[in-house]
Amino acid sequence: MNRLPWWMGGILMSGLLLMTFSVFGADRPIGASTYVPFFAGLVFDLDPEKYSYLKEIKHAGAWEGVMLLGSLFGGFIVSVFLTKTFRLSLVPTGWKKYKNNSVLSRLFWSFVAGFFMIIGARLAGGCTSGHFMSGMSQMAISSMIFGTVVMISLVVTGRLFYNTKED
Amino acid sequence: MQIIVKTAGDDFASRMAQMFENVIHQGHGSLVLVFLIGVIFGGIIQYTRVDKFEKIAGFAMLKDTIVPKMLFLTVGLTSIGFYFLVEAGGAHYHIKPIIWQGLIVGGIFFGTSMAIFGKCPGTGPVSIAEGRIDVLVGAIGGLLGGLVFTLYYDDFFKVLMGKSAGKLILPSFFPGHEHMVVLIFGVVVSIIAFIIPKKEMFDEADLCKLPEDQRPDRQS
Repeated sequence: MNRLPWWMGGILMSGLLLMTFSVFGADRPIGASTYVPFFAGLVFDLDPEKYSYLKEIKHAGAWEGVMLLGSLFGGFIVSVFLTKTFRLSLVPTGWKKYKNNSVLSRLFWSFVAGFFMIIGARLAGGCTSGHFMSGMSQMAISSMIFGTVVMISLVVTGRLFYNTKED
Repeated sequence: MQIIVKTAGDDFASRMAQMFENVIHQGHGSLVLVFLIGVIFGGIIQYTRVDKFEKIAGFAMLKDTIVPKMLFLTVGLTSIGFYFLVEAGGAHYHIKPIIWQGLIVGGIFFGTSMAIFGKCPGTGPVSIAEGRIDVLVGAIGGLLGGLVFTLYYDDFFKVLMGKSAGKLILPSFFPGHEHMVVLIFGVVVSIIAFIIPKKEMFDEADLCKLPEDQRPDRQS
């Protein structure tokens, strides 16, 4: 099988979340945005003692950093051997169809969106993994607020940013 | 031969080593387990293809619904499992605080960027691992975002986030009916996952290497 159906993905992801939550696993939720400022501290050589934010995320950042290395590895192996999608590419097909053919435009917008995405995630205290999946599974009100705001701004931007009428 | 790992310095290599050392000692699973959680996480995302631009930005354009279907099913199933795991003493709550300004401003930034980028911080690395250079450029942007957030955290971002209004979970609004609330929430959210109409935006470039009879777009 080259692709997993969405319901199988949901069941497997749920199993992984529960395993990670349980005291037999990691006794913590899965998160995937704290590692970014953590790595920024590493790459730009910031002294972790001088910046209060780096002190705050010292443990969570390291945990997610190791998890991220795992997901790079897992994603690579599956893309080469199972889904056969590994190839170097610059502009996604959907971007060409609904936005434009310019490599520069795609790289520019990726950079800008990547920048604000991390600022947004850190302001809210989580992302799709930490808030939406892990937070909503605990029925946290904060995650439901975040999820609602994200869903609305996602769909509004999708409507305004792309030319969706062209098919 | 003797292998020496320096963990005391402040160069990049020793700080990476400190990261591993930290995970070994923080008591949230062994180093191998944490790495393995990442491998499975990345593997599931890649295997279901939910890291694709066509899936995430496609959902923003309402032309693909695989991402919300999978997300809702994950939340529905996990919420029931998690609650009973806690009741049995096998897990603890890790609730994020209600910081209204942070959640709303952050949510708007996050949702807008997610629609344009077509990735989120968890799916991005999986896309980089399959050779997407545009996502690597976005990750560099993200790294700078993380740097700016760290540098101006005390002076600007912490103020912008505002005060925490506490940590709340849905069942605490219905004292005495916690079990019922959890069951209803889990079942309703899972049903929503199946009710959302299935729409898919296929990517020829992604499917052309597959044998004809195994292409998901040829099966109705």
